[in-house]
Amino acid sequence: MSIKTFLFTFVVTLCCLLPSQEANAADKRLSLSGSSTIAPLISEIARRFEAEHKDFRIDVQTGGSSRGIADARRGLSDIGMSSRALHDEEKAGVKTHILAMDGIAFVVHAKNPIKNLSAAQARQIYTGQISNWKQLGGEDAEMTIIDRAKGRSEQELMTKFLGIKSPEVKANLTCGENQQCLKLVTGNAHAITYLSVGTSEYEVNRGTPIRLLDFEGIPASVATVKDQSFPLVRPLVLITPERLPEEVEEFLNYSLSNKVDDLIKGQAFVSTH
Amino acid sequence: MDRYVFREGSFTVITWLSGIAVFAIFALLVFDVFYHSGLFSLEFLFSDVKGAGREGGILPVIISTSLIVLTCSVVSLPIALGSAYFLFYFSRQNTRISALLRVSLDVLASTPSIVFGLFGSAFFCLYLDLGFSILSGGLTLACMILPAVIRMCEEGLSATPEEYGLQAAALGMSKTALFFHVLLPAALPTLSAAVLLGIGRALSETAALLFTSGYVLRMPESLMDSGRSLSIHIYDLAMNIPGGDQNAYRTAAVLLGMLFVINSVALASMNFCAGRVIRK
Repeated sequence: MSIKTFLFTFVVTLCCLLPSQEANAADKRLSLSGSSTIAPLISEIARRFEAEHKDFRIDVQTGGSSRGIADARRGLSDIGMSSRALHDEEKAGVKTHILAMDGIAFVVHAKNPIKNLSAAQARQIYTGQISNWKQLGGEDAEMTIIDRAKGRSEQELMTKFLGIKSPEVKANLTCGENQQCLKLVTGNAHAITYLSVGTSEYEVNRGTPIRLLDFEGIPASVATVKDQSFPLVRPLVLITPERLPEEVEEFLNYSLSNKVDDLIKGQAFVSTH
Repeated sequence: MDRYVFREGSFTVITWLSGIAVFAIFALLVFDVFYHSGLFSLEFLFSDVKGAGREGGILPVIISTSLIVLTCSVVSLPIALGSAYFLFYFSRQNTRISALLRVSLDVLASTPSIVFGLFGSAFFCLYLDLGFSILSGGLTLACMILPAVIRMCEEGLSATPEEYGLQAAALGMSKTALFFHVLLPAALPTLSAAVLLGIGRALSETAALLFTSGYVLRMPESLMDSGRSLSIHIYDLAMNIPGGDQNAYRTAAVLLGMLFVINSVALASMNFCAGRVIRK
């Protein structure tokens, strides 16, 4: 094979591999962007919606809650996704719709004998006043205190609830995504962190060695989040312009209906129905 | 002990140890991935994604990845070869421009990929209005791998004997003929290695693609569709999806397998035709 033949074969193969650029029949296109917590759930909802409505194409992109809010406000995407309630100054010109709820629970390793935590204790832990499990009646061991990355909605919710400012938080480690935090706790018997209730409960049911601590005497579970007795909850929000285009409304109504309850449960969140 | 023997002996030991260390790291990595992924059927490769990736296969992800890498190589290969030839001529004259070009290429080659991601998102997605698409992703990756590939291709061309140019001139060969009939075949092994390293880097890229080719799990229908690459799929499964670990490891195993196959097939075929050309 000469080099020319080789190049020729190469180019021909490439041309064959390129897909046809035919326009698709789908004429209603929606784009969503924002929270990486909601993205997997909304992707699944979009998948089911597309199967039922053949003329729709829904593209989901991630990038974080703040980006979702900004994109929706600037009209860069049709629907924004945020895993925290919007600040007052973010609410102008947009409408919010609660897709599902999620709680934030304090989570320790399953070997840890501690069963519950009060808000005062949590504040002392995260401001560095308690650093040994003995002080809470546990075994004599140094705590590994894990904080969530600044700017994540969990961190914002936790610090706001406990009334501490983000720079006052004293922690040994900081982690970003839920799964990363879970891996840190399952690998360290003296660790404590705070995590999505749905995700944690899902992992407990799979046999992951972690325990959700009762908070202020209320057990942390999907049930207490649903009946709103659990204090630390966050809404998973969809953000749209105030005047809804027809196709946005159609998808939105579908997402907020009880037809997607099984998908919400499947992604370890709590449906509002 | 004789100082000479000691010096030579310790040098040998250190060389061997570093060799073993590199192999051990590679072996550990492969073992870790395949240990956790377990045995999985080929159906995983050929079925659609279900449950946000937790169940089902990864067919759309494989197709998207291949299209991204294909776009990237189709765009970057000719540009890389052309610029390398251009630089190669400059380097024989060693001008100030060539030195400047080389320094800027080296700086670009060591730029973190997230910077290319942001550039691609601003330039291809927003300014050129390509949106989140496989095309934007491929073009961004092309920008990202070009500097390194150009530099390596240039090294390959420079490694050919200087007499080739003189002999070609004496025979009245055109520059095009010199390039296609003499230099390209002679430098082919190095060039193919350069291209493969570039494609390998493109295949395993995450950060640059997150903001350009996007996160969509659907089967792509054209280059203008958003499509998720294997590495982003692994990242999302491992970090974002409860219970996604098993499939994250499986996807990682597929990615490693793809890298391995592409590397060995391309190397073998390039060596094969290089041998043929030179004998002729």
